[in-house]
Parts: sequence; structure tokens; C-alpha cells
Amino acid sequence: MLKLHNMYKVYSTDEVETVALNGVNVEIEQGDFVAIMGPSGCGKSTLLNIVGMLDNPSDGDYFFFDENIADYNESQRSAIRKHNIGFIFQSFNLIDELSVAENIELALLYHDMPSAERKQRVATVMDRMGIGHRANHMPGQLSGGQQQRVAVARAVVGDQPLILADEPTGNLDSVHGQEVMELLRSLNKEGTTIVMVTHSPAHADYAHRTVNLFDGHIVTENTRAA
Amino acid sequence: MLWNNIIIALRNLRKNKAFAAINISGLALGLTIYIFGGLLVEYENTHDQSYANVNRIYTIGSTANPELNVGVDKFNSTFMAVAPIIKAELSDIDAVARTRNREYLLTSGAESYYEGLRFADPELLTIFDFNYIHGDSSALDDPSGLLITETIAIKYFGNTDAIGEVLTFDNEYDFSVTAVIEDPPLNTHFNSLVIADQSFGIVAPIRALNRLIDYDADVGDWNNLSLGDMTYVLLPENLDQAWLQSQADRIYDTLVPEDEGQAIASLDVHPLSYANVAIWDMIGMPVIVVISLLSLMVLIVACVNYTNLATAQSLGRTREVGMRKTMGATQIQLLTQFLVESLVIAAIAMIFAIAALEMVIPLFNNAAGKNMTLDYMATMPWLLMTTVLVGLFAGLYPAWLITRTNPIEALRDIARKGKKGSRVRSFMIGAQFAISAFMLAMVTIVYLQNEKVKSSSYIFPRSEIYVVDRLNVDGISDKLETLRHELEALPNVDSVAFSSQVPYEQNNSQNELSPIPGDEAAGITLMNMRMSPEFLDAYDIPVLAGRNLSHDITNDKRTDELESLNILVNELTLAKMGIDKPIDAINQRLYPLDEASTLREYVIVGVVPTQNIVGLFNEEKAWFYQYSPSSLRIGSVRITGGNIMDSVEAVEDVWDRVIPDYPIQGRFLDAVFDDVYNVLKYMNMALGIFAFVALSLALIGLFGLAAFMATQRTKEIGVRKVLGASTTQIARLLVWQFSTPVLWALLVALPGAYFATQGYLNFFADRIESPIPILIVSGLTAVLLAWGTIAGHAIRIARSNPIRALRYE
Repeated sequence: MLKLHNMYKVYSTDEVETVALNGVNVEIEQGDFVAIMGPSGCGKSTLLNIVGMLDNPSDGDYFFFDENIADYNESQRSAIRKHNIGFIFQSFNLIDELSVAENIELALLYHDMPSAERKQRVATVMDRMGIGHRANHMPGQLSGGQQQRVAVARAVVGDQPLILADEPTGNLDSVHGQEVMELLRSLNKEGTTIVMVTHSPAHADYAHRTVNLFDGHIVTENTRAA
Repeated sequence: MLWNNIIIALRNLRKNKAFAAINISGLALGLTIYIFGGLLVEYENTHDQSYANVNRIYTIGSTANPELNVGVDKFNSTFMAVAPIIKAELSDIDAVARTRNREYLLTSGAESYYEGLRFADPELLTIFDFNYIHGDSSALDDPSGLLITETIAIKYFGNTDAIGEVLTFDNEYDFSVTAVIEDPPLNTHFNSLVIADQSFGIVAPIRALNRLIDYDADVGDWNNLSLGDMTYVLLPENLDQAWLQSQADRIYDTLVPEDEGQAIASLDVHPLSYANVAIWDMIGMPVIVVISLLSLMVLIVACVNYTNLATAQSLGRTREVGMRKTMGATQIQLLTQFLVESLVIAAIAMIFAIAALEMVIPLFNNAAGKNMTLDYMATMPWLLMTTVLVGLFAGLYPAWLITRTNPIEALRDIARKGKKGSRVRSFMIGAQFAISAFMLAMVTIVYLQNEKVKSSSYIFPRSEIYVVDRLNVDGISDKLETLRHELEALPNVDSVAFSSQVPYEQNNSQNELSPIPGDEAAGITLMNMRMSPEFLDAYDIPVLAGRNLSHDITNDKRTDELESLNILVNELTLAKMGIDKPIDAINQRLYPLDEASTLREYVIVGVVPTQNIVGLFNEEKAWFYQYSPSSLRIGSVRITGGNIMDSVEAVEDVWDRVIPDYPIQGRFLDAVFDDVYNVLKYMNMALGIFAFVALSLALIGLFGLAAFMATQRTKEIGVRKVLGASTTQIARLLVWQFSTPVLWALLVALPGAYFATQGYLNFFADRIESPIPILIVSGLTAVLLAWGTIAGHAIRIARSNPIRALRYE
């Protein structure tokens, strides 16, 4: 599905150059469930952002469905991104001024979809995530776990084949964290490819494969039997 | 504590240099305009303070009878016959004096110039205490005496020691200098009339007019109402304006002869301090009030600008406020801190504004011939109060908003949500844009109306007519035919005509004629053009029916003995007579209603099209044209082709040869038009400056606010981008946020501008079609400028990598 080849990312300020990714090679197949682990500052989030086309690499190639998108500009990346990738963030990133249903619908708003169909899909995905009764609540009125479900719903409502999750359980207690992981696992079973950054070895166990990063290098890759 | 606050304020300014620069320069600009406007209004309203009797001197003006139809509502003058009545009737007053302006050629030895002089009653010198260098206030008692200023003395005699020196008027009448005074200060009404150049240099006794033009000054007249022919009254301490007005009303009602005073509807008493600004009431434009209002509006825009930016910026300091509150600061202490900051900014802005004024005022004085000063002693209280009020007014809202937050929220930074106070900010943006769009619309309408006045003036060949003035002098008028023949012989001179007035001169000489002899009810008022037959040639006026007047037909040429005079009329006259076709008017007769005239009848021999001869703000009028050799005052030399300067020089050479005793007084017709048009033009320029400043300030404010709102909505923008929103969609979102207040502002501003400009448009007879499309266009311009300002910023934000927006959440 996607392949990173010799990927570099350098952040430079006036005096300091920080190498966040130092020649990373990763290949991810369709239907995969990959966990990225490593200590703080090892480049996990940077990798995820580049995979998610939120940021562009300093050097290297990025093949997405055999298309090298490493040098695409933001509007080109945006066009690919919105139909293919869903995001889940540690801090949920829901818009406080919009209701639950509106937050989810936001993901379809940029897809040229008739309003009736949007409403239909939002209702379906909310039922699936078990938050249908919360449709008209504002994010501030929900618990963390519920908010993350809304975020998951928003990530999958557009039928994106790839979900990127940046520490999706980082702000949740263990019970709610477990729930979200189950949700991701069932999505994966239905065919969605998932790439997840996490600190928790227990949550990493949900994945088929764990990539360990250290100082911008991949140090180990473990594959589990599904 | 206060010092501490000031230190913190200065540090904060240094930390946010860009913000401080925008704020201080915006506020300084607003203050500069406001103070300048205030000083100008004060300057214009406090003329003549140097005269000891200033508070006891009043002027008598007149309100025009609406039927007079001369484009002016009020006169600062009245008939010369009024002062003698006042003198006879009101024994309680201290003095009354008239001045009458006339131009003469003055000669002393080799020095010979045309001068505008004032003919005055001797009491003028009782009323005004001029500073005498030589002579005293009895200077005008001698009917051939002359009071002159030091400038005039030096011009003619090389020094101020001029008593007894002789000046000859029109090469014929001798006057001798009886007093030399210091030049009146620039800020007296003597030196400040806007349109006519009537600077104060020479005063002659009014009784001298008896010798010069056979005029009985002791009686005066009811014929001539000219702007600037003043009547002054000096009252004793115990009498006031109301008393004098009641006496003036009584005089108008009971003592003005029924058939003489028709041109005016009342006599108006004004204090002397009003004399300088009376011109604006005369033409019906409250310029002084408008300047005060506009400069205040600009200051308000600048303050709102500051408030908006400061509010936006202060929300970034909620953490600081939370910290201070946690440590025990009360809201009052914090309020004080923030207000001191805004006062410091206001004070710095004021210093910049004063520096700017020190540069602007001398330039303005130079350009406008004024003597404005920034007197620190006198204006200090006003400047200080303005600084404090601006500081408080602009700083209070952001200070209150930021210090209101509870400390926990402030520390958690919940307050940074952009919603806070957003309604007030929208309102303020709306207010700014309402003011800017209002001014922009006014400027546009005034500009287009001026353009219309200008373009309709091109019906006459303005730039080809060289106008030669002051021909009705004995030594010149009998040489006009020689002059014409000699000038016509020049290669580039097409035609030479003489007339009683040329286009755009604001003269309204009217006669009452009737199609039925002696029937006043059927009488029609016609403008009276006296001209030589070449006038039609020189001004390209076609004859629609009949023929032009001729030198060779006896009854075409007015003489004292003639009983039946042939005339031309324009089409509007036909309409007034009820005649449809020009051809039907030929040989129709009109009869003078004025019994003093020796002439029995006028016979129409030709019809010309209706043209707006007086032009500018006047409507088209009904005219009749007669060839009256004794009333020709001004010549029109039509010059085409060749080098203009060479042709003018050739014309001057001919003049010097034919009329060696008098220097030529020539200029192009363009200049005659500009006499009045420049007033309109400069008014629009001033308005344009106000509008430009207000709009720039509003745009700067909007830009700052857009930048701030974009940072406030960083997270939302990030999320939307992650979800696939395109650059355009994000930019549109940000732009739209500001459109609602701007559109509301237009709804208020445009009708306001519509009503405000009606006053200006009413001044003109020939108005622009409908101001409404113009209003809509200027409204759209304001909106597009607003959008452009925000869009530039919004696009930049929308283009950046979405991760930048989300990283620090």
C-alpha cells in the first residue's frame, strides 16, 4: 500500500539542526496493523505525520499506491489525503463549537457528497461506535473515551482505507483505552489498514507488527502471528 | 507602583515591536488628523481677536430672496443704502461704517499696478484700532486722503514714510497718503476671503466715489449686492447682538423701500468673529462643522483600531493575568496596569502626532496662506485631555476583558478561545468600516459632481479664450474698436469680442421685461448680456433663427437716444414667453418695466441655444443679448493654433501699442473657471485625505485582527485541513468571518452618505444623475479592500502544512 524509502526529516532552527528521521525504510501492506514504538523524541510522530501527508520529508521517496508523492505540494497531498487517510489524535482534536454529529460530518463536508447521504453515513457510523445517543451533545459534555470514539468515527466515516492513530489511548484511562483498541481491531478485521503510535506495550500487542524507532532509525521490527 | 506599571508597559512594547508599531502609528495618525482639524477650526473661528473692540463689532449681512436665483443663499454684505439708515435711526450705537471694494489702476511715478481697494466710511477707523506707523484714525476724513499698509507703502514708495505721497487712480484722480498702518495679521477677516482676492492694502474714503464714479455715498444704493462689501456696527458695552438684530428687523420691515429691497428677505446681524467663516454659510456648505466631525471620526476609527488590536493581543496574556491573580492581584490593580499601558501608548502616539504637526502646519500655512500655530501653552490642557481620553477610551475594553477572567481559567488558557468578546470586536470592525465607507462614498460623490461641473464647462473653448479685463475705463473704452482690428490682424487670433461678462463669472445682472407694455404680471426676469456682435463667433454660439447683431445696423447698437433696440434671446427665453419655434420669435417685442429707461422696446432679431453661461453651481437661465458699446467691460480673444505663449505676447504687444496708459489685465478663461472651481476641488482633496486615512486605519486594524483570529483558530484550521479542506475553503472560512460586520456597516454607512451628500448636491443646479449606483460601487470597493486584506493573510495560513497548526495543541 505504501512504501517509505530512505526517508529523512530535518528540523532546523537558526543554530540547531535536529534530525528526526534518519534514513527510514518502511513498507506497509493493505490490511496491515502496525504499531510504532520508541522513547520520546525518537521520531514516531514525525514518521506518522509524513505517512499521513501532513508534513513533507526533507529527503527520500514516499510511494503511496505506487505513486511517489514525496515532492507533492500541500494541495496535491490534500487531495490524496482526504479520500485515503483518517486520523486519530491523542488530544482528540474535536472542534468545541460543533456538536458530535457535526464534528463527524465535517470529514465528509470536503468530499462533494449530498447532504442526505452525509447524514445517513454519520448516523450509521455513530451507531457502529455506540455514540448514536450523543449526536447533539457538544464535545465538552463527553468523557475522554466518548470523545475518542467520536474522533474514531470521524476518521472512518469517509471509508478511508488507512487510519493513522497518534497515541489514541494516551489521554484515556485503561478501561476506555481498551475499548478504543477493540474498536481499532474490529476496523482492521474489516479490512482497514491501521498505523498507530503508542507507548503502551499492551496496546502494541493488538498490532500484527511493531516497529521500534530510536533516534530516527528503525532498530527492530517484530511480527506477530495474527 | 505607577512607575512600575510604566516600566512594564514599555517592556511590553519592546517585546511586541510590530504590534507596538502598528498601534502607535495608527493612533498617531488619528491624533494628527484630529488635532490638525481642531486647530484649523479654532483658527478659522477666532479671527480678528487682535482688535480691541472685537466683541462689540457686528456685521450686517443679508439673506437672499429665493426668487433671486443667484446660487447663493446668504450674503455677508448688504446694500450700501442700509448703513445711512442705521446711522440716522439708531442713535444708541457707537459707530457704523461700510466698505466697498473696487479695483483701480494706481500709479506713482514708474510704479503702476491694478489694486483692489476698499472705499470706507471714516468711522471704520473708530471701529478697528489699526496699528498706525504714521498718521492716525482721522486719515479718511479728507475725501482725497488714503490709508495704506506698510506693504503697499514699500511697494510704491520704497519705505513706510509715505505721508503726503500721491497715488493717481486710473491716470486721472490724485489721492495723497494720510496714514500708514502695519499689515493686519493674516488671521483677520480682512485677509481671509476664500474666493475673491481682496487682501487688505489700501483704504480710500467712500466719499471719493463721488468724484470717481459720481456716486452719492451719503445715500448709498439699492442696486448692488456684492460679497465682501461689508457694513460694520460698533455697539456700546450694554447692547448686544439680539438688540441689533431686532433693530435690523424693524429697519427691514419699515424703512426699506418696498420696491428696492426685493432682492433680500432679511438683514442678518453677526458678530465680527463670524465674518471669517461666513463664506461657508453663504454657499450653504457647513465646511467648518464638517471638518470637526470628520477629524473626530478619524480619531474614533484610530481608537477602535487600537482597541481591537489590543484586545486581540491581550488575550495572549491571559496566563500572565492568571499568574498575577493567583499571587493576589485584584482586578482593580490589573485594570490599572493595563490602562497605564494604553495611556503610555497614547502618550507616545501624541508625541509622534505633535512632531508630525510641527512639520505639517508650516507646509499647510505656506500652501494655504494661513498663519496657524501650535501654541503649546494654550493647547496643553486640550492635548493632555485628548491623550488621557484616547488612552482610557481605547484601553478600557481590552483591560476589562482580560482582567475579568478567573485565575484558574486563565492559567488553563481556556480564555484563549477566540470566541471571547468576538461580538464586541465584530461591532467595532463594523463601526470602523461604517465610517470609512461613509467617507469613501462621500468623496466619490463629491468628486463625480465636481467632474460633472468641469465637463459641462467645456461647452465653451476654455483654454483658447484669452480674457482681457477692465475695459470700462474712459481711457480704454473709446479705443476698443481699434484694439479689435489690431488684434484680429494677428495670425493666430480667430476673433475678438467684448462683453459685460464672460462665462463662469459669478455675475447676475438681471432685467425685468414684459411682452405686454407696462404689464408687470406678465413680466419675465432675463439675464442681461451686453456684448459686441463678435461674441457669438468667439464662443462658437450658433444662430438658430434670424441673424446675429451687426455693427452696421442702427437699431442693433444701443445708444442713449435709441428707442427700439434689436436683441438676441436664448431658447429658454422663448419658453418663458410661451413661443415654441425659434423662427416664431423673430420680430416679437419685449418691453422694459423700468421707467427710468429711455428705451421703449426690444425687438428679437435672432435666437441662440440655451447655454449655462454663469456655469458651475448655477442652473441654465433665460438670457437676452444686446450690443451696448458703453457697457463692455471684458474682452475675449480667441487664440487657436501656433505657440500659445507667443500669441499671448503678441496680444500684449498690441495692447501696449493701442492703450499705452494702462497695463493689460489678461488671463485665460480656464483661470476664471478655476476661481470658483478650485474651492470645490480643494474641499474634495481635504475630504479625500480624511477618507484615505480612515480607510487605511480600518484596513490595518482588520489585518491585525485577521492575523489574531487566525492564530486563535489554529486548531480548527488544522483539523479541517487534516480532513481535506482545500486552501480556498479555509481562506473563504476566514474571510467570511469578517464579512458580516463589514456588510452590516455598509447598510448603515451608505444611507448616511446618501443624506450627507444631498446637501452638497443641492448646491448645484446640474446634478449627477443618481448617487445610488455610486454608493453601491464605493460600498463594494470597501468590501473588496477588506476581503483583499484578509484574504492575503488567510491564504498564507491555509497553505501551510497542517501539522504546524496541530503540533502544539
